[in-house]
Amino acid sequence: MTRDELKEHILKKYDGLLTPLETGVFDLMFEVKPANLTNVARMLRDDEQLKFDFLNNIAGVDTGEQFEVVYSLSSISNNLRLDFKLVLPYDEAVVDSVKDIWTAADWHEREIWELYGIDVNNHDNLKRFLLPDDWDQGYPMRKDWDAPDFVRMPEL
Amino acid sequence: MGLIKKVPVYAEHVPGGGFVATQLESVLSHAQACSMWYLLFATACCAIELMCTGASRYDFDRLGMIFRPTPRQADLIIAAGTITKKMAPRLRRLYDQMAEPRYVIAMGGCTIRGGPFYYDSYAVEKGIDHIVPVDIYIPGCPPRPESLLEGCLHLQKKIKSQKLADWHEK
Ligand code: SF4
Repeated sequence: MTRDELKEHILKKYDGLLTPLETGVFDLMFEVKPANLTNVARMLRDDEQLKFDFLNNIAGVDTGEQFEVVYSLSSISNNLRLDFKLVLPYDEAVVDSVKDIWTAADWHEREIWELYGIDVNNHDNLKRFLLPDDWDQGYPMRKDWDAPDFVRMPEL
Repeated sequence: MGLIKKVPVYAEHVPGGGFVATQLESVLSHAQACSMWYLLFATACCAIELMCTGASRYDFDRLGMIFRPTPRQADLIIAAGTITKKMAPRLRRLYDQMAEPRYVIAMGGCTIRGGPFYYDSYAVEKGIDHIVPVDIYIPGCPPRPESLLEGCLHLQKKIKSQKLADWHEK
């Protein structure tokens, strides 16, 4: 299946659930409503023609106006790749866990929870992962984060 | 070490004792300077240069420097690489486990003041002298093996010039 065929397949079969975005340069990029996340994830994994059985990565993004959570998927058996993202306003920064769909999501979700403060529903092991255990300085990957010994790069 | 520290104090009251004390001092410090066993504490890219210095081309062994995997047998920590805030307590703990007299070399910009991670980093400790006392700073990113060797020679000089009575004062 080529990139265009994949896009067509998804638009036909999952109309309304995945909205294509133009930002995907290498892989296709879609937007998914946070409420549909687990549904979409399960369907992408179980669809015989796609079989997205491998979660490469979950990335948090703070754009300065909102949070985004980007999921990148691979299908090993069909040699396909696809990204989709959720857009979360600052005051509703919460996603559902996809840990029981892809086990790999466990650590990634702990990471976005710890570094961005994006809450994860239904995650049974949400505890500190990368930061020191006694960290109490908030969420360091947020754009507005600051700490006493944090030095911003001066404008050149 | 307490007994050795007392020797020069008592020896000075004996005729010719000053000579003995000086000789003892120089023998001990020579032995110490020529067998600096260092703890392997290589946390990032500077470690590559440390390994290169240890390998046959630069040959650390000829200075009597052999790496030890445990702090109990080491006289020296060569902190080669970025120290994150999470790593800092471990470095302190290893330092505390070493027997005195003990020395620290800060190798590379990261250990001196955070190096390339000084700006915009929430995770990197800005200088290991916040954690342990440092004897020799070797700047560079990474320092070449020649710089590391020179740093070690300076440390040898420092060890040879110190008095027995200073041993505990660090
Ligand atoms: S000083 Fe440079 S080479 Fe050394 S650990 Fe830091 S970044 Fe790596």
